[in-house]
Amino acid sequence: MKEDGHQDFSLQCQKVSHWFGETKVLFDLNLKVKAGQFVSLIGPSGCGKSTLLRAILGTHIPNEGQILTMQNGELISADRPGRDRGIVYQKYSLYPFLTALDNVALGLKLDQTSALFRLFNWSGWAKKRKNFRDRAAVFLEKVGLGHAMHMYPSQMSGGMQQRVAIAQALIMEPEIILLDEPFGALDEATREELQEMLLLLYQENQDAISKSQKPPYTLIIVTHELNEAIRVGDRLVGLSQYWNWEEAGHDSPPGATVVYDKPSPIFKPNERPDYESFENIRREIRSYVYNPDILQSRNEYLMTKLV
Amino acid sequence: MISRRISRARQIVLSTLSVLLLVLGYTWISHRQHQVNPEDTTIPNWSQLAEGAVKFTQPDRKGQRWLVEDSLATAKRLAAGISLGIVFGFMIGMSMGCITSLEAFLQPPISLLAKVPQTAALAVYFVFFGTGMEMYVAMISFGIIPTLAVTVYLAIKDIPSEMLDKAYTLGASHFEIAFEVVFKQVLPKFIDAVRLCIGPAIVFLIAAEMVVGDVGFGYRIRLQFKLTNMNVVYPYLVFLACFGFLLDYMLRFLQAKICPWYQNNSK
Repeated sequence: MKEDGHQDFSLQCQKVSHWFGETKVLFDLNLKVKAGQFVSLIGPSGCGKSTLLRAILGTHIPNEGQILTMQNGELISADRPGRDRGIVYQKYSLYPFLTALDNVALGLKLDQTSALFRLFNWSGWAKKRKNFRDRAAVFLEKVGLGHAMHMYPSQMSGGMQQRVAIAQALIMEPEIILLDEPFGALDEATREELQEMLLLLYQENQDAISKSQKPPYTLIIVTHELNEAIRVGDRLVGLSQYWNWEEAGHDSPPGATVVYDKPSPIFKPNERPDYESFENIRREIRSYVYNPDILQSRNEYLMTKLV
Repeated sequence: MISRRISRARQIVLSTLSVLLLVLGYTWISHRQHQVNPEDTTIPNWSQLAEGAVKFTQPDRKGQRWLVEDSLATAKRLAAGISLGIVFGFMIGMSMGCITSLEAFLQPPISLLAKVPQTAALAVYFVFFGTGMEMYVAMISFGIIPTLAVTVYLAIKDIPSEMLDKAYTLGASHFEIAFEVVFKQVLPKFIDAVRLCIGPAIVFLIAAEMVVGDVGFGYRIRLQFKLTNMNVVYPYLVFLACFGFLLDYMLRFLQAKICPWYQNNSK
């Protein structure tokens, strides 16, 4: 039996727990992400943001619970990485032996042709490759790199590399794109440019929704920058090990779980946010998510969540 | 200042100067030797070297030109040995890097083989492969396989797991990851390793030729050295050096052609 609005979810984490030996990382984590949402995942360092992201990616299966992602129109267990989920890492997202254009076209090549086809059907492959490169060029234009198509990653700046990495993920039209601290190594100005680029994608989502079409991009961005999280995301999810686990009947900390989940203000790409105005949200997040001395009752959080 | 850049002209002048100094130095040592003993052949002067050149470029009593015969024989053995070593070294390295069970299976023989000095194991090769072409090929390829395989294996272990996981999200199959990601990433490092292996490969070959050869550079050098015909030995050493240099240059050219990104990286 399908529950109502089942189709709208790109991702469902159900009762996910994970630990490495004695170290408890994730505890009974539940998270549903709707198609078109831009989720900012925040939390203190070591709370398991990256562990969760890897679990969603399918490279590290959680010890308990399950993670379902939309694959060919059905929610299926994400037990291995697949073409329905894109990933952008802080580094190592690009292949150093390919130009920007071929890095972006690589997904089409791997996904839509086989090694045998490329080896034995030369003329067919040449035709396809041209088509793939044309499509890749469109995506590079979209991320503002029309001029750098034939550069190798080593010739590009960090910001350019991340733009290519995002284009590389976008071209696959995945159900969900995971970004693991994508702008962590970039300077402030470049960071803001790239945030604007993501907001352009969000705008495309909204345009699609206004035409009652399915929004094309769903994103989870892990970041330690609260301003970035608030600006880029339309939903803020706080993961934290600091919650009132004693009240819940545990003798020792059972791991991090979702303790904060609220909508985030929405910005237009060219709109320079007034970071001062974020102060209230930041203060709230700091006390709920980051402060080890303020232990919120999880029941209370779950109750408000249901409403 | 350390590693300061110098102009092209200055570089050429300095390089020419060093070659000139070598030639002058040799002439002077040879001259002093001939003052002591005018008949000396251990450090031949330039006219003696010219006689030597006639000896190895003109047909001998059997009508054979030594330089041609020796070059052909040695080059054939080297080419066959290195090619086989390249193929197997690469395949073994790839399988060790990509398949964990094969890594466990192949590690002991490879590390053992890597530690045995090939020149000391000459007798083993004679026993197993006779004294023909097979022996030379086996000796060279077994000599370079461990280094090449380990280079490929380590280069694969060096690839960040992110790049492999990423390829799965782009719809790659296992085979495509091996070929499209691992192979292409490892290729330039492999060519570097082949370049470094040319030296040892020549050492193994010359050693074997000296012991059992009836033609080839190693054979000729040993024979002419016994007759103290150093006017043949020295030029032959120079030819060997040039040969190694040429191979190295060709590999560097190949690397720049098929892995242009690697050049960019190292600059």
